[in-house]
Amino acid sequence: MELNTIKDAFDRVAKKQKLSCSKTQEVIDEVGREIEQAMAKMQSTDNGSGCSDQKSILLELKTKLNEMAPMNQLEGSQRELNVGLVKYAKILEKCFNPDISKAYRNVDFDIHIVNQIIASHFYRQGLFDLGDCFISEANEPDATALKSPFLEMYGILEAMRSRDLEPALNWASKQSERLLQNGSSLELKLHQLQFVEILQKGSQNEALQYARTYLAPFASVHKVEIQKLMACLLWAGRLDQSPYAEFMSPTHWERLAEELTQQFCSLLGQSYESPLSVAIAAGIQGLPTLLKLASVMAAKQQEWQAMKQLPVPVDLGREFQFHSIFVCPVLREQGSDENPPMLMPCGHVLSKQSIAKLSKSSTRPFKCPYCPLEATVGQCRQLHF
Amino acid sequence: MDMAVESPSTLGNGDSPAAPTASTPAAAAVAAAAAASPPSSRMLQLAESLKLEHQFLRVPLEHFKKTIRAHHRCAEKEVSAVLSSVAEVADRSDAMSRDDAVNHLSSLVSRLQGLKRKLEEGSRAENLQAQRCRARLDHLDSIDVENLTEWSNTRLKRILVDYMLRMSYYDTAKKLAETSNIQDLVDIDVFLEAKKVIDSLQNKEVGPALAWCAENKSRLKKSKSKLEFQLRLQEFIELVRADNNLRAIQYARKYLAPWGATYMKELQRVMATLAFRSNTECPAYKVLFEPMQWDYLVEQFKQEFCRLFGMTLEPLLNIYLQAGLSALKTPFCFEEGCTKEDPLSQEGFRKLAAPLPFSKQHHSKLVCYITKELMDTENPPLVLPNGYVYSTKALEEMASKNDGRVTCPRTGETFNISELVKAYIS
Repeated sequence: MELNTIKDAFDRVAKKQKLSCSKTQEVIDEVGREIEQAMAKMQSTDNGSGCSDQKSILLELKTKLNEMAPMNQLEGSQRELNVGLVKYAKILEKCFNPDISKAYRNVDFDIHIVNQIIASHFYRQGLFDLGDCFISEANEPDATALKSPFLEMYGILEAMRSRDLEPALNWASKQSERLLQNGSSLELKLHQLQFVEILQKGSQNEALQYARTYLAPFASVHKVEIQKLMACLLWAGRLDQSPYAEFMSPTHWERLAEELTQQFCSLLGQSYESPLSVAIAAGIQGLPTLLKLASVMAAKQQEWQAMKQLPVPVDLGREFQFHSIFVCPVLREQGSDENPPMLMPCGHVLSKQSIAKLSKSSTRPFKCPYCPLEATVGQCRQLHF
Repeated sequence: MDMAVESPSTLGNGDSPAAPTASTPAAAAVAAAAAASPPSSRMLQLAESLKLEHQFLRVPLEHFKKTIRAHHRCAEKEVSAVLSSVAEVADRSDAMSRDDAVNHLSSLVSRLQGLKRKLEEGSRAENLQAQRCRARLDHLDSIDVENLTEWSNTRLKRILVDYMLRMSYYDTAKKLAETSNIQDLVDIDVFLEAKKVIDSLQNKEVGPALAWCAENKSRLKKSKSKLEFQLRLQEFIELVRADNNLRAIQYARKYLAPWGATYMKELQRVMATLAFRSNTECPAYKVLFEPMQWDYLVEQFKQEFCRLFGMTLEPLLNIYLQAGLSALKTPFCFEEGCTKEDPLSQEGFRKLAAPLPFSKQHHSKLVCYITKELMDTENPPLVLPNGYVYSTKALEEMASKNDGRVTCPRTGETFNISELVKAYIS
């Protein structure tokens, strides 16, 4: 898109607007000046010879103002500005999609559901004041249930930002088992960080004490890590000169905060990304295709509102790929429980139905449509993605 | 097997725009090229998404135009009044003392000065609005692959502010705009204008709404708006409700009759309420007296308002949400094991998506169960002897940690890595 030409077009409009403004001021000044001059003339004439003079001055003023035609002048500059404005609006219409609601299906979106989604979006972003303000303004029922888990999470993260691991460790030890089930070693990593913190402050004894209490339970599974940490004890107070200086890197804190967020959301049964952000981002990627489709369908007078499946694919980026979708390359149909993907001995995958069609009988070999190898139905295996 | 390596191709073309269905080598090459050069397709995608931003530029422009028009009208009115006043003095000067004439002229001069001051102020307001139009163009121009995350976050906030404003959640809208420092990128002031009218309609007053109609008369006429007529009807109904029949008739003669040519049916229906009165049980007329008529007027006004400013009639949020849910909706979203990262794993999103169509796929897109990564030519799918498929990356990592053995996470069976075979999915 040529944003620069659009900008130029707008700058022309803005210039005309300034011109029109000063022109208007000028016209008003001019009219004012004429009137003032007439006044001065009237005041300078003698009292005696009054009437006729006064009349002629006023008539003269009237004709002068008529000749000046200030109304036409005002209109002229305005007209020019208007032309520019109309032109600019047309450019916008041409370069942008003037109606993005063309592909909108007229269904009632349940306001409460949408509001609940928005409220939890605010809370999970840590925008608690905003969320509260929204809940009360939208008259939604109390949302403490949505809010409190994230309050806890942001409390932990806030403390971590000021280098306080206490709340994070408390949470992790409470959730210890569930974290392990998730395959996360977050708890160990937190203890490790705390251990390094203590070491950095120089207290070897304290660090050793800490390691005995908190790191030892992990020793069986994470032997290598713990050995390294123990070696750090030798460099207490001067860890930066040790081969283990990497342990002090502040990126550990950032990475751990991220991992904690991830695990926290996961244990809450929530996604890491805000689902509202994901859905809207998908909408922004998908909408251009949908709009094209809608206008094609409108031209063919096909019904947009009622279809059960979109007639064309809407390509979204990888980040929106949440499910494995198998499309049979022969039938061009999505696989299903009735028509699952099958692996042929040559490694190509077709749907069960198309294999049945190709083979005609279950014993006769048939040629793979993608390579010269042959297969029988019996050699094909069902796949699970 | 050699041939087989050639053919798996279209997999993983998620970034390429609607690849052709023919699986010819040429098409495959195109698709592969598109997948291999994400930057250009990414830029294309960005450009496409910018085209959706018409409202973002149009609303401040309409606002700007409106301000310019108002100031121009004011200047015209004042100057023309001064001119005719001068003409009048000139014509009547015989009957006027010199002092009177001078005083009159000087009052005209100060009137012009007042106008000038007003226009100077107006011009400042116009400049601010021009700056806003320009700032929005600059904002669109600032989108880049590097700042995409931040830019998209701002866009989401803009969309949310738009939603708040349309739903009349003004405090939240203001708070969100202020805390994110995006006041120039949202249209709070425009909506505050609408708020006055909406508030009055909710208080069952039509005055401000009628004034708004008068202000935008020519444009409403152009779009064949019915709003003014509907407001007049409501006012008439209120007179009938108050049993003020004579005034109701007078009102109808003055304000309803002119619409007779276009809306005769409605006019007749509403006139019949004179006979039925407000306590009627006749459903055709009873409904006219119901308080929800006022809600209907609010809706009507909002629509006219949005149309006038070049906004979509639906909140942007609803439009994008619908498009997104439709693009994401697959039968798998509703299965038990749906990943939490999919918005459609959540009840609320599922309900919203219920009336929407499913997406369609022309090509297989496989996601590894273990790593959730796409399985494509770089990370091809491997088949375990039990028929379960995982990505090469996941299985190789597993094998390297377990002396070449892999465990199927779904069945618990273990296999040697040498037992796995590649699957080619085109």
